[in-house]
Amino acid sequence: MENLLDLNFLIESFPAIISRLPVTIGIAVGSLLLSLVIGVAAALIKIYKVPVLRVITSIYISFIRGTPLLVQIYLVFYGIPKIIYFLQSEYGWLQSADVNSIAPEFYALMAFSINLGAYLSETIRSAIESVDRGQFEAAKAIGMTPVQMMLKIVFPQALTVAIPNLGNMFISTIKDTSLVFIIGVIDIMGQAKILGSRGLAFFEVYIAVSIVYWILCIAVERLLVKIEKRARRYERGIA
Amino acid sequence: MIKLEKLHKYYDRQHVLKGIDLTVEKGEVVAVLGPSGSGKSTLLRCINFLEEPTSGIVEIGGKRVDAATAKKKEIFALRTATGMVFQQYNLFKNLTVLQNVSVGLTSVKRMKKDAADKKGIEMLEQVGLSSKLSHYPAQLSGGQQQRVGIARALALDPEVLLFDEPTSSLDPELVDEVLATIRRVADTGKTMFIVTHELSFAREISDRVIFMEDGVIIEQGTAEQIFTKPAVERTRQFLGKAVQG
Ligand SMILES: Nc1ncnc2c1ncn2[C@@H]1O[C@H](COP(=O)(O)OP(=O)(O)OP(=O)(O)O)[C@@H](O)[C@H]1O
Ligand SMILES: [Mg+2]
Repeated sequence: MENLLDLNFLIESFPAIISRLPVTIGIAVGSLLLSLVIGVAAALIKIYKVPVLRVITSIYISFIRGTPLLVQIYLVFYGIPKIIYFLQSEYGWLQSADVNSIAPEFYALMAFSINLGAYLSETIRSAIESVDRGQFEAAKAIGMTPVQMMLKIVFPQALTVAIPNLGNMFISTIKDTSLVFIIGVIDIMGQAKILGSRGLAFFEVYIAVSIVYWILCIAVERLLVKIEKRARRYERGIA
Repeated sequence: MIKLEKLHKYYDRQHVLKGIDLTVEKGEVVAVLGPSGSGKSTLLRCINFLEEPTSGIVEIGGKRVDAATAKKKEIFALRTATGMVFQQYNLFKNLTVLQNVSVGLTSVKRMKKDAADKKGIEMLEQVGLSSKLSHYPAQLSGGQQQRVGIARALALDPEVLLFDEPTSSLDPELVDEVLATIRRVADTGKTMFIVTHELSFAREISDRVIFMEDGVIIEQGTAEQIFTKPAVERTRQFLGKAVQG
């Protein structure tokens, strides 16, 4: 009798898939952090209308939004080595970098940071712009420098506003990292593919890996609710 | 001492301050009166460069800043020499009451956290709020928030305090506690500029009253002079029943 599923194979594939979870989480969290830096920089460039950079930023955001993530991953994967090689041979820069020894995880991290940074920048910009003008004025009036004003007053308030959006984008990124196997990263998806072809049981491993993604995303969602609650504690008025 | 010389402010082509000249002695309390749109807030905000004057000179405690050549450093110096109390309080929402008062001490005056907290608590005692140190602004009444605003401004020991309608956003029953706090600060000999619509309070607290209209000071004098025998008809109209009252 033909079974719909090889349940044993499915269950046995979990440990191997889960063992690659740090790769998936690492790329997602790493690119979240890097993209926050990119996103804040891009947002500030737009808010302060910095000449030249502002145009570059607009083109960057428009390009990222207008091209598929998959294509962007390939561009980074094939482009960065070429650029490094070019800089080495033309200018003698980056001599210590060995293009052949760069791990595919690095390219994945770069591609996702660049991608997410563009999307975050709009969220961050509107969050910063949502901070009451009076907060800026009070900070200036006591003599804070723009950097102090941003770090102590504006960013904390903007971040609180942005958390739900940032969270949704982070969850999307976790799921999108399933694309990284195409450049040779063995994340949970890559591992599932390997197991699947070994046992010729693709349906089973994809069920297993989808369950892992699902649980991961539920856990992150729960965590986000807690983080948001904590960040918003100062907004609670007189009960 | 504060000195304003030929202060002009344009918003695009709108001429909002038309050459303000003013000298205020140390310890003087100046009430700024005038109809809506006459430029009172703009004048106050030009003193600490929250609005950059189009031209003119602001001098506080011997430091002269010419709007035409003002450098960032000079503007920071003016801002540390002044404290501002806002109509909407503008307390830092993400900081506790104590942090609101101490953040300027640690970040602007580079004080150690312990010393800043100590001074912050002292300031909050002066405005009667030392029991609310770890509350957030959203947990305070408007009157309490404004008193924290006053403590925040006082903490940096400014040469002059600038009040822009400090009681205009308050429910009527909360006005008195804030006025009482301002009165106590005035009694310590602080130099103060107060833009207010509370005429009787202005009369009681100020050494000098300035009456503005359409970007110019059209009359000034002691509270007694302005409120009993204003020289300019427009001032008399504006003060209305408060004259002689
Ligand atoms: N940021 C700004 N941009 C453009 N115009 C402004 C700005 N701020 C103030 N003005 C204009 O400058 C004039 C003076 O405004 P200001 O706020 O100084 O008046 P005010 O005397 O404080 O009035 P009120 O009693 O209503 O507070 C008004 O005509 C106002 O519309
Ligand atoms: Mg005003």
